[in-house]
Amino acid sequence: MRMLNAVWADMHFQMKQGFFLVYVIITIMYLIILSFLPKDILSIALPLIVFSDPSVLGLFFIGGIIMLEKVQGVLMVMVVSPLRTIEYILSKVISLAFISVLAAFVITYFSHYESVNWILLFLATILTSGIFTMSGIMINAGCQTVNQYMLKTIPYMLLFVLPCFSLIGFPYSELFTIVPSVAALRLMLGAYMGIVWYEAFGLVIYLSAMNYLFLRWTMHVFEKKIVYQD
Amino acid sequence: MIQLIHFRNDIKRILRDPIMAMMLIAPLLLLTAFKLMVLLLIPFIYRQTGFDVLPYSQYILAFVLLTSSGMLGIVTGFMMIDERDGNIAELMSVTPLGRSGYLINRLLFASMLSVVYAILTCVVMMPGTLPLLSILFLSVLSAFYAAIIGLLIFSGADDKVKGLTFAKALNALAIFAFADLLPLQWFIVLSWFFPTYWITQLIKSPDSLLVNFFAFAVHAAWLYVLIIRYWRKKS
Repeated sequence: MRMLNAVWADMHFQMKQGFFLVYVIITIMYLIILSFLPKDILSIALPLIVFSDPSVLGLFFIGGIIMLEKVQGVLMVMVVSPLRTIEYILSKVISLAFISVLAAFVITYFSHYESVNWILLFLATILTSGIFTMSGIMINAGCQTVNQYMLKTIPYMLLFVLPCFSLIGFPYSELFTIVPSVAALRLMLGAYMGIVWYEAFGLVIYLSAMNYLFLRWTMHVFEKKIVYQD
Repeated sequence: MIQLIHFRNDIKRILRDPIMAMMLIAPLLLLTAFKLMVLLLIPFIYRQTGFDVLPYSQYILAFVLLTSSGMLGIVTGFMMIDERDGNIAELMSVTPLGRSGYLINRLLFASMLSVVYAILTCVVMMPGTLPLLSILFLSVLSAFYAAIIGLLIFSGADDKVKGLTFAKALNALAIFAFADLLPLQWFIVLSWFFPTYWITQLIKSPDSLLVNFFAFAVHAAWLYVLIIRYWRKKS
């Protein structure tokens, strides 16, 4: 119940801050572009758009959210409230993943792309969103301004994005699947282009495990660096 | 004189703060990444799919110009939000610098950098294709655009999170730079009112007086409205 309330409060805050409105605008923008793409290009562009924007939105917003909560004293209140760190982090992850899934589904549905595996799309979006949102919380530690946060995300983004080019294919390029973003993109592409069940199953298990590891790590960093500030 | 002192202090502050100094380099990194993409990725895409991206190089130049000056505008906007939260902006307004001096000081820094990066971008991305006058004019418009983005974020956002929401929404403005690629008449007409559309038009038709006039008019109108809004809004 406490967890549900926290998620609801976060979603309410995000709505008030205009996240949903912005994503309506962005979704319309993508739909306009996608509607003019030929089918063969759409099959590549659609998963790339869903992966690169809605799934990653958590990384973009979480820095500002935590910084604002720090300034407003929310984090100090949280320490003495019954809400546990894991619940606080999960509520952020779930509420941002909700917008990701909503945007991903709307973009996909109105692009009239046939043969989408909706369950895989749902799992790929949620698991990608979780990893990026939790990365954002960890990057946030030690940042005093939004500019610092945005700049600190650049090397992490490069670390996540550059290995994705391995999907073009070259000798031993499969090894890059160990990078969570590559595994997530592979799963996302599979949701649109088809994927053998055992590969999809393996990727989901791997990404779930990575999400769990990221959660433990984020909890540690959040308590040590953000709440108690070393 | 006081403007100059503040400006010099700003540069000192930026050079001392490694993160801000890196922000100065970020547009250069962006330019390098796009140049490498044009040199390496475009031939690769052509070999793999037969699709030639080169005829769209004017759109790529417009995108790099807009992203780099937009980036500087966003940094300025957030710098101003941080200063408002820390009551520094209020403090500045009671110094001889004043509110207008503070605004000029902040926007001038991003705008001047935009001029330099815009010239560099035009020379590196499309060497020898644009006349010198058009490059200079594009750099002035880039300076306007950086100021527009900075002001939009600062005056539109009450806090950091709203600033990020604004920054995200402002990215969508880039779509108007590609408006004439889409066969939608209503969309092209809508794009006329946005600065980003005119940057592409200016790159495509640098000699057209009408395009030059409208490009300047739209940028100036946006900047004028935003400055007036800044003045009317109580800090």
